[in-house]
Amino acid sequence: MYAGELAYVWTRDPGLAPITAAIGVSGGVLLLYGLLFRADDVMPWPIVLLGIAYAIPLFVRGSGIDEGAPLVGAGLLLCSELAAWSFDERWRITAERAVVVARGTAVALLVLAALGASGLVLALAAAPIGGGLAWTALGAAAAVLVVGLAARLGR
Amino acid sequence: MTRLDSPRVVAYAGLAAFGLIAGLVVGRVELVALAAPFALAAVVGAALVRDPEISAAIALDRDRALEGEDVHVSVELSAPAGADRVEVFLPLPSELRVPEGNPRAVALSKSRTLDVAVQCERWGAFAIGPLLLRSRDRLGFHSWEAQIGAARPLRVYPSVETVRTMLAPLETQVFIGNQTSRAKSEGIEFADIRGWVPGDRVRSINWRATARRGELHVNQQHPERNTDVVLFLDTFTDVRTGGRGTLDMTVRAATSLAHRYLERKDRVGVVSFGGYLSWLLPASGTRQLYRIVDSLLQMDIVLSFARKGIDILPPRTLPPKALVLALTPLLDARSAGALLDLRARGFDLVVIEVSPVPFVRPGSDELAKLAYRLWRLSRESLRMRYEQAGVPVVEWVDGEPLNVVLEEVTAFRRHARPARA
Repeated sequence: MYAGELAYVWTRDPGLAPITAAIGVSGGVLLLYGLLFRADDVMPWPIVLLGIAYAIPLFVRGSGIDEGAPLVGAGLLLCSELAAWSFDERWRITAERAVVVARGTAVALLVLAALGASGLVLALAAAPIGGGLAWTALGAAAAVLVVGLAARLGR
Repeated sequence: MTRLDSPRVVAYAGLAAFGLIAGLVVGRVELVALAAPFALAAVVGAALVRDPEISAAIALDRDRALEGEDVHVSVELSAPAGADRVEVFLPLPSELRVPEGNPRAVALSKSRTLDVAVQCERWGAFAIGPLLLRSRDRLGFHSWEAQIGAARPLRVYPSVETVRTMLAPLETQVFIGNQTSRAKSEGIEFADIRGWVPGDRVRSINWRATARRGELHVNQQHPERNTDVVLFLDTFTDVRTGGRGTLDMTVRAATSLAHRYLERKDRVGVVSFGGYLSWLLPASGTRQLYRIVDSLLQMDIVLSFARKGIDILPPRTLPPKALVLALTPLLDARSAGALLDLRARGFDLVVIEVSPVPFVRPGSDELAKLAYRLWRLSRESLRMRYEQAGVPVVEWVDGEPLNVVLEEVTAFRRHARPARA
């Protein structure tokens, strides 16, 4: 999954491929390290690194909107959820089939919902509702809300 | 229950915040689209915080079992609102084993009963429980852990060997039992003929002998008496390899012997002579068997360097004319000294050497091999000391039936008579 995402990022802008590939591959190495050595504290970093690798071409020479962004976002979430599932199964626990199916279904639903949410963001951005200070303020407020939520959860 | 949150929720919120701010700063909606899935996951994670309030109880199908048997443990789980994933772990001592399904993860709707088959691999007194429970939400964002349920006692009795040959003591006691005494008196088994003396009963006159000899002769019988047997267990050391050891053999033999002697209406006592000293006064009956087995279940090796002799035992523990059956690996000088002391005091002593040799591997280098040979020689020397004192010593090797060993002792003692000082 991670390799697929990396391939997409790499092929989007062949001119910046060395930089994006280097960042993405280092993220992949971190992911492998985390999975092999059960180091769950490194897990956000492969996601962050792949996100940066995806953002660099957008920042350097981006002009049009990339419609593949929701897929990249949902794919990263799926990567993270599968890795977390793998960590939870590190102990030898005999799990009932219903329990495994329930988690698989929940992950699939979450990723589908995430894909929908991400697609909605892109659709809203493409909608001709104009710009302005109000929308920027709303965006900033949303960002502050999410940071606040992160801080609250972090406590 | 103690709640633990996965660091993933915080990481998702952080990633979402980072993506949103980066999107605002750079002015690219793709970064916001990238952050949106993580923001959604963080919100879902925060919404899933709900204590499942699980309660649990443990019940055993029986509280006593024999070695090698299975005991079924019922684990009753209940949660009013259900739980997506409950991991149940039943902590067990190393002597008990669950072949599969411990720990196990189950879904819990409201209430549910799990059956856990526990294999009793070794004797002992154990406590099963409390349960370790961990409940997770469906996505594993939050987990709740608790130790629930009271511990249930389980006694696993050692398996009993079939013992056909019982060692007869040199002298019996005065009470009626199943052991034919060597003395001549009233009884069932014919012993001898002697001349009539005033006071003899008419019914004991042997008319055929009387007719042949011309004067009155009477029959004599061996009376049926009971015996006092003291099982002297050397618990200073235990030599173990691969789940088997000398202490296990000692406990199994003691259980088998106590069972058989008590069946014969004899009185049986136990002395555990080791780092931790314990004893049971000789008594008879089924209750005494349970007392003995329960005391054997508590038996363990306690390291001690204190010098101990038989003087520290209460006098009633070793009644006169008792047959003392010592089960010892012949490894500790203190128990060897105590046994020789018993012999010197005139006790009818039999030493069953629970051989530690099969549990000891000689080393690979020359020095280790030499040490091993010296150790074997020192054991031979100790055995000789017992034999010189008139004590039969018989080696019992793991895997050999106890009956064979007892036959050997019986053959050795066939013509033995009590020594008089």
